[in-house]
Amino acid sequence: MSRSVVVIGAGPAGLAAAIQASSRGCRVTVLDEARLPGGQIYRQADKALSGTDYAEATELRRKNQLLERFAGAAHGLRYRPGCAVYAVFPNREVHFLDGAQTEVVQPDAIILATGVREIAIPFPGWTLPGVMYAGGAQSILKSQRVLPGKRAVIAGCGPLPVVVAAQLLRAGGEVAALASLRTPAAMLADLPAAWHGRSILAEGARYAWTVLRAGVSRLTGHVPVRAIGTQSLEAVVLARADSEGRILPDTEREIACDLLAVNYGFAANSELAAMAGASMRRNPVSGWVPVADAFGRTSTAGVFVAGDGAGLRGALVAECEGTIVGAAAAQPDKVTEFPGDPVLAAALARRQRYEKFQSAVRRSLHVPPGLWSIAAGETTLCRCENVSVSEVLDVLKEGHRSLNAVKRNVRAGMGWCGGRNCLHAVSALAELHTNAAPVEMMTPRPMARPVPFAALAHQRRADTP
Amino acid sequence: MRNLKADVLIIGAGAYGLSCAWWMAKRRTGARIVVVDAGDFASGASGRNGAGFRMQWGLDLNIRLCQESTLFFENAAEHLDYPRGIDLKQDGYLVLAHSEKALNHLKSAIATQHRFGVPSELLNADDCIRMVPALGRNRLMGGTFCNKDGSISPFRWLDALLKACRREKVEVLYGTQVDRIDKVGGSFQAAIADGVIEAEKVLLCTDWAAPHLLASLGIELPVASLPKEAIVTVPCTPRVKPILISLEHHISVNQINRGSIIFVVSRPRDGHDISSTPEFIGFAAPKILDLLPGVADVAMLRTWGGVSSVTPDMQPILGETEIQGLYVAVSSFRGLMTSPAVGRILSALIMDNDTNDPVLAKLGPRRFHTGDLVVEPLLNQA
Repeated sequence: MSRSVVVIGAGPAGLAAAIQASSRGCRVTVLDEARLPGGQIYRQADKALSGTDYAEATELRRKNQLLERFAGAAHGLRYRPGCAVYAVFPNREVHFLDGAQTEVVQPDAIILATGVREIAIPFPGWTLPGVMYAGGAQSILKSQRVLPGKRAVIAGCGPLPVVVAAQLLRAGGEVAALASLRTPAAMLADLPAAWHGRSILAEGARYAWTVLRAGVSRLTGHVPVRAIGTQSLEAVVLARADSEGRILPDTEREIACDLLAVNYGFAANSELAAMAGASMRRNPVSGWVPVADAFGRTSTAGVFVAGDGAGLRGALVAECEGTIVGAAAAQPDKVTEFPGDPVLAAALARRQRYEKFQSAVRRSLHVPPGLWSIAAGETTLCRCENVSVSEVLDVLKEGHRSLNAVKRNVRAGMGWCGGRNCLHAVSALAELHTNAAPVEMMTPRPMARPVPFAALAHQRRADTP
Repeated sequence: MRNLKADVLIIGAGAYGLSCAWWMAKRRTGARIVVVDAGDFASGASGRNGAGFRMQWGLDLNIRLCQESTLFFENAAEHLDYPRGIDLKQDGYLVLAHSEKALNHLKSAIATQHRFGVPSELLNADDCIRMVPALGRNRLMGGTFCNKDGSISPFRWLDALLKACRREKVEVLYGTQVDRIDKVGGSFQAAIADGVIEAEKVLLCTDWAAPHLLASLGIELPVASLPKEAIVTVPCTPRVKPILISLEHHISVNQINRGSIIFVVSRPRDGHDISSTPEFIGFAAPKILDLLPGVADVAMLRTWGGVSSVTPDMQPILGETEIQGLYVAVSSFRGLMTSPAVGRILSALIMDNDTNDPVLAKLGPRRFHTGDLVVEPLLNQA
């Protein structure tokens, strides 16, 4: 029997990994929650929708090339859209929901390509309707081709706010202000890195040009400190932060808007890796990530990780890495080199090159710790269980140190999302207020997604996917 | 090196350990009381159970311990000066029988309960389904119900005890594991990673793990462990008002005030693994639907694991060991629900040498030498 590989996630890393493992003779199954391949970054609109998603032509070309490569490989692998993985165990069992049915498979290798979620830094009013993640606003535009708001303020750091501002403008929206923690041009300061990322930077420059030409008010160094509104968002108050993230007095300005799109970078979707028993570590920029070698091997035998789910990499690195990890997972032995293999040699070289650029992007996403103090008192931190910032701070003051102890005390992380939304914030607050980095993440447990008993009572079990 | 001295060292900061510490400290004798725990807040069995308390037991001492504890829970916010409250829910407990044998256990137990004034009643299958329409009729024979039984939040209960202990100057040290205990002269030395705690008296509240430390002193205690797993659902419409326990399904069901339903499901296992196992979901879901078809549409949110202690007669072990000054408290499935009474009784024993409580005569660690054991029949165990 040939080797069985299950890839979880159909973004750039997952697709490239599936193509590569399949080309090496593995029986590959790709499980993905969405209805079409592409993941978040290459999200596709329903074919019935007309129009464009306002992305740069070069970016669209990369997207289409990868999707075509995947379609070309699809006869040799099994692509299963609409499948939500809710548990992975150290024995390599993968449990997932497909419609009203659950299934359990136990492949020889699992490649986790689960991507990232966005990071927001809470501020008073951030739970008002109309406040959303910048990537969330972008994904409404990409998948539904509608504007998520009429008059937008976009805030945060790194490249995404600029991209989203430009795409909203191109779609006919109004952007009242773009508040960036630091000027996006700071990425150019690292010249070698900029050179390696020149194609991406060119796209970035074109997005920035769209924003400039539209005369959008650019407020560098400003961050949202308050959202105002009764039923939904009516205005946002921005203020200037110093390099430590402290808000400077008398710098507040109020801007009317019905959409506030925020992004302070991305945290890895690493729950499944942790559930599979992989050793985890915390990275200040990308959150809790599995410890992995250059070929994506985690500490759990047969469980691999590729792309942003292993720490922020970006689509280009993710795609090369998918190829590398797909090749490694296809081998029954722990292979660390692929001599005389031009595909792998090229992927390794490309990853190394793009990685230099990506490290500059990661620096642009560094969040000064003081920003985590903008939300105070009654501001909600955990939306599922409605836990306020002060409740978390009280528990830290009482001397509880582990994130699990915080969770058991205030229920942050016990709700619907299982901590996907608050874990990064609770970790940051714990570090800020105890001057010690938390050692362990909140223990992720099955289920990664809620699943009805009716579906769980009839598990289909297959030895191979 | 950390070298600490204590008059009483309590090992284990679960419900038993913290309750005993609080009852001792509130005597205000000036005794130095130290509680250590290898894990962190609520990380052991006291924070991993189904959260229920009930007076419906088959043996007199279990009933008595729970009657006293129920009264305490009803007034815990005052007793412990904890205005937030412990999320007390008192909608009763319905113990279900799905066989003639189980029904006979319930009938004999209810006679004992009535002797102690427990307001429990015998129900037929129709009564049970009227009370909980989500129940399945499959094999259901009947049940007993007591409206004073209920549940608390284990986290609020442990936090209330912890804060009350610290107010009374008890030192509670998390992340402090005792590796062995030695008796040196008249006192005990408990070895921790970075030092020694010297104590006049030691109370072991490590439940299923108690035999390990006792072995370092040459004492054997017949305590085994049973790993269990639990499920919590997303909040849903009210559909299970009383807590349910099914003696055949080995399942307990508690829909808490926030709307989530908690299921604790047992199956025959040993060891002390608290991880979520791959087999569990497929094992538990059909059983849950057999017992309670009315939850088929409810989504399971999370699973977790915990470990119960198992004793030969399924009763707690409470009292002084054959080594003077060394005490033990093993809950045998009911630590949370008996912790108020156990704290009071053991604090009187340890601080005043008060051995009058009948619990101590019958549930002491030395009973296993005589071999005269009566097994508690009403347990949710596999």
